[in-house]
Amino acid sequence: MSLIEFRSIAKAFGGKPVLRGMDLAVEKGEVLFIIGTSGVGKSVTIKHLIGLLRVDAGEIWFDGQRIDQLDEKAFWPVRRRIGMVFQSSTLFDSMTLTENVALPLRKHKKMRMGAACDEARRRLGEVYMTDFADRFPAELSDGMRKRAAIARTLALDPEVVLFDEPTTGLDPVNARRIDRLTRELADHRGVTVIVVSHDLTSIFTIADRIAFLYQGAVRAIGTPAELRASSDEVVQQFIRGLSSGPMETPGF
Amino acid sequence: MKLARYTGPIERLGESVLAYVRATVELIGLFFSTMAGVVRGGRPRGEVVHQMYVIGNRSLIFVAVTLGFIGMVMIYQACLQFTKVTGDFSQVGVQFIRLIVSDFAPTLCGMMLATRVGAGIAAEIGSMKVTEQVDALRMSGVLPVDYLIVPRFLASVVMTVVLSVVGGAIMWIAGGLTAQYSFHVNPALFYDMSLVRPIHLAMGLVKALSYGMAIPVVSGFCGLRAKGSSEGVGWATTSAVIGSSFAVIVLDFFWSMLGFLFFGASL
Repeated sequence: MSLIEFRSIAKAFGGKPVLRGMDLAVEKGEVLFIIGTSGVGKSVTIKHLIGLLRVDAGEIWFDGQRIDQLDEKAFWPVRRRIGMVFQSSTLFDSMTLTENVALPLRKHKKMRMGAACDEARRRLGEVYMTDFADRFPAELSDGMRKRAAIARTLALDPEVVLFDEPTTGLDPVNARRIDRLTRELADHRGVTVIVVSHDLTSIFTIADRIAFLYQGAVRAIGTPAELRASSDEVVQQFIRGLSSGPMETPGF
Repeated sequence: MKLARYTGPIERLGESVLAYVRATVELIGLFFSTMAGVVRGGRPRGEVVHQMYVIGNRSLIFVAVTLGFIGMVMIYQACLQFTKVTGDFSQVGVQFIRLIVSDFAPTLCGMMLATRVGAGIAAEIGSMKVTEQVDALRMSGVLPVDYLIVPRFLASVVMTVVLSVVGGAIMWIAGGLTAQYSFHVNPALFYDMSLVRPIHLAMGLVKALSYGMAIPVVSGFCGLRAKGSSEGVGWATTSAVIGSSFAVIVLDFFWSMLGFLFFGASL
C-alpha cells in the first residue's frame, strides 16, 4: 500500500464538479508534482489530505488509515504529520516571524512559550532568516515570507510536506532556492513532498514523478522523462505551453 | 443530449429559505462554540486587552459624539412638542434618563458598534479567510474560534457595557444642556433620577451584554464565510453590518417584550 492514496475522489463547488473520480497514489519519500491548468483541482486535491476540504465521495488513506471521515480535532494528529506551505505564505500579520513559527510548536507539541521561541529561531536559521526573526511579515519580501512559512511548516518535522505553488510570484533566483530546499527535504530528511505547480522549470528539475490533472482526474502520471515522451496530445500541449491544441480550457 | 434542470420560482424560494435556515443554525453553532471557547481558554495572550482597546477606546469618540447629538435632537424635539401642547417640562428630564438607562444608551450604542466594530471584525477575519490564514491556523493546531472570535467576544461584552454607560451619560448631559439653553428648563428639574429603578438598570445591562455578545459573533460568522478575494471580504463586511444591526434591533425588541410581560407598567 502506498503512503497516500486518493480513491475515486469527487468534489463539487456550488454544483460544479471539480474532481470526478480522481485516483492517485503517492509513495513514501518521493517528490510528486501535481500539474494542470488553473481551476482543475490541484490545490483542492491536497487540501483534502489535511481536512481543510471534505470529499463529496471517495476515500483518502494515509499510512494505512482512512482519514477522509475524521472530524476537525481528529485531524490534528494528521496535520502534525502532514505540513502545508500555502500559496500566499499565510503568515499571521499580527505576529513576528518567531511567534509565527512558535505557534504550531506550542499548540501541537505543547511546548512552553520560551522553548517554542528558541526552537522557532533555530528553524528560521535553517532557512537563513535568523536576522529577520523579530520582524513582522509585512516588513518582508515575498521570498522571505515564503521561507519563513516553510520554516513554520518544517518546525513540526512533518513526514509529508504539501507545497501549493511555492515558486509563484518569486524571482527566478528565489524560485530555484525554493526548488533546492524542496529537493533537499526528500533527499536528506526522507520527507515525502507533494507540490502543486505550474512552474515547468521546477517540475522538470526536481520532480521524481508528475501527475497531470485534467477534467477532474489524473490523465497521466510518470517520471519527467515519461511525461516528456508521452504520446498524449493534451499532455504535450501543457508541458510545451502551447496556446492551441486539443486541451479544453474553460474561459478560452 | 443532457437536458438542463428546470428550477421554478417555488424551488428557488425554497432554496433561499433553506440557505437562511442553514446559516442560522451555523450561527447558533458558532455562538455555542464561542461560549465553549470562553471556558476552554487557549486564546492568545494579551489579545483580549488589545481587542478592548480596538473595540472600546477607538469607538469612544464616535459613540460619544453620536449619542450626544442624538440626545440633543431628542430633547429639542420633545421640548418643542411640549411647548406646543402644555408648556410643562417637568417630565422631560425625568423620563429621558429612565429611557436612556433602560433602552436608549445600550441600543443606540449597540447600533453604533454594530456598524463600526462589526465592519472591522468582518473585514479582518474575512481577509484572513480569503488569504488562507484561517486554514493556516487550523494547520497549526488552533481552533479559529478560540483565536479569532473569543477575544473579540470578551472584549466586546465588556466594552459595550462601558460605552453604553459613557454614551448614556453624554446623551443625558447633552440633552440637559439643550433643554437648559434652548428652552430654559431648570437643570435641577431635568437631572432628576427619581424614576430610575433597579429594573431599569438591569434591563439596560442585559441589553448591553446581549448586544456585546451578538455583534462579534454575527460579524465573525460573516468574516469566516468570506470567499474568493476582495469582493468576498466586501460582501462579508456588508453582511456583518446588516446582520449585527438587525441582531441589535431584534434583541432590543425581545428584551423589551420580555420586560413588559414580566414587569408591565412598572418598567
